[in-house]
Amino acid sequence: MNALADILFGGLFQGSLYAMMAVGLALVWTTIGVFNFSHGVLMMLGAYFAWQLVDWGLAPALAFPIAVLLMAGVGWLLQATVVRPLIGRANLVLVVVITTLAAGSLIENGVLELWGPRSKQIPPLVAGNAMLGGVGVSLHQIAIIVVTPIILLALWLFLNRTRLGLALRAVAQNEDAACLVGLNVTMLYGLAFAIAASLAALAGIFLGGYRFMTPVMGADPLLKALIVVVFGGISSISGPIFAAYLIGFFEAICSYYFGLYWTPALLFAALILTLMIKPEGIFASRSRGLA
Amino acid sequence: MSVIETSAPTVSAPPRAPGRTPWMTELAGALVGLLVLALLPLVVGDAYGRHVLIMVFIYAVVASNWDLSLGYGGVFNFGHLALFGIGVYAYSLLTKLAMFDPWVALVASGVIAVVAAVVVTIPILRLKGIYIILVTFGFAQLVMQVILSQSDYTGGTQGIVRIPGLYWFDHNMVRDAKFAYFYIALAMLALSTLFLRVFVRSRTGKSVVALRDNEEYAVSRGVSLVRQRMITLAASAFFTGIAGAFYAAYQRNASVEVFGMSLATIVLSMVLLGGTGTIYGAIIASFVLTVFAESMADFGAWRPMITAVLIIVVMLVYPGGIVGMLKALWGLATRRRA
Repeated sequence: MNALADILFGGLFQGSLYAMMAVGLALVWTTIGVFNFSHGVLMMLGAYFAWQLVDWGLAPALAFPIAVLLMAGVGWLLQATVVRPLIGRANLVLVVVITTLAAGSLIENGVLELWGPRSKQIPPLVAGNAMLGGVGVSLHQIAIIVVTPIILLALWLFLNRTRLGLALRAVAQNEDAACLVGLNVTMLYGLAFAIAASLAALAGIFLGGYRFMTPVMGADPLLKALIVVVFGGISSISGPIFAAYLIGFFEAICSYYFGLYWTPALLFAALILTLMIKPEGIFASRSRGLA
Repeated sequence: MSVIETSAPTVSAPPRAPGRTPWMTELAGALVGLLVLALLPLVVGDAYGRHVLIMVFIYAVVASNWDLSLGYGGVFNFGHLALFGIGVYAYSLLTKLAMFDPWVALVASGVIAVVAAVVVTIPILRLKGIYIILVTFGFAQLVMQVILSQSDYTGGTQGIVRIPGLYWFDHNMVRDAKFAYFYIALAMLALSTLFLRVFVRSRTGKSVVALRDNEEYAVSRGVSLVRQRMITLAASAFFTGIAGAFYAAYQRNASVEVFGMSLATIVLSMVLLGGTGTIYGAIIASFVLTVFAESMADFGAWRPMITAVLIIVVMLVYPGGIVGMLKALWGLATRRRA
């Protein structure tokens, strides 16, 4: 019972964080066809914004939404400076990898300069602890497990039920046609980046309330998000979400039975196997050209 | 800065069609470039200046080999720095634990890097574009995780210190302002460049470019995608591994920092700044970027930020990189003369 609760809880918690990160990556990929390698850094910056606002005396309930909104602006700005001018280049994917990496390095070093290397922590969403099936857990983690599906559902509704969301998906499916029917593609690119950055900021706030924050805290979540989108396929939004929880559980099971050291290796082996059998991802039906 | 100017004739080889510049012209240009580099210690006498040049040569080897898989092969191998890191750790472990002779360990590290490259090629044989980036990126992280977790041998986050350096008969390697290391590094760069240029000019090299430019047509003409991709990555790994081993021997310590994103970003920007598919471009860019970064040592923490901005600006303004820029200038100059 104890082991089951442990795995279930760990899987749900990690899966929630991964889903939060991976959805942003997938959203940018499906809409613009580029990979944002500064996604982890955006997550870190969101957490630092939240920390700064709380430090200035704002209530977390107010500080967190403001930080998320600020990050939407940062996402937009990032898109306008290092992505949009490159659209149309032959080697767009590669060039954007390098520009977003460089932008990430710029932000990371900027944060280091501004806030220093000392690790910080932001207040949890909900303070306190609870016992659940014989496992001690913090209410903060439970809040994350509960809040994440709600946010992802809201995102899904936005993408499938609102005019703007449908426009975003239209660009993802056929950019030229979207342009022809009068959609503002440039604006939608910015929107995709803004939403992705907000989601990353939210993940940063989640993580910052649970672990200590450092300027390099985004590197590992970015890697996990990358693995998640490879697993789930990056052609849709729902694929990575399922894959995120799947990997969360995979990790929870592996670290329970084989130990923490072997988990990355096992995860990678599973990844290679997936790619050899179904390169477009487990949950992908068709993809935005595998190139 | 004289190096850049004298190397300019050698970069006039059209990148998209290897082999168009006559053999003799390129060889002459490359020899002149090599001669200039070999004479540099006459101008740069201090240990610090030579240290910068040695680092330039190491970067140049890593970046130009990356250009082989990325620029010519069109394979976005983001694990390239992991091959370098494998070279670093292979040399360190072989010399410290297995008591290999440093020179034997140096070559063995290159071979180990080749084996690693073959291993990482297997999962990406069927993949394209972004998927290759993701898998190779994951590979690099995995290697780092393994090194971190096997801390009994690798020192984990502490790294390895007091690695045996290279030797040259009875010569004291640190004497005469790193005189010996400078020439070993230069020899490594020369051999690597020779190897790369011969490779891309060969039939195999041309078939690799054919696969990049029109995969369906190349395959239909009987070029094996699987074999050529394997060969390309293996070929790009050998001198990368040796550069890693040399780096370990020169610095005499090893840490997992070589797997970090910041180093990968810098070396990748060398490849892209230089202009892909040229080999020489990556070498020139290594020189420019390293000297630029060193000249800003006074800026301290601002240095990585300035470098990042520079990378973004060049990527935005010059799609063809430094070689593209030089070619545009060259074209302008020759047109005016005509």
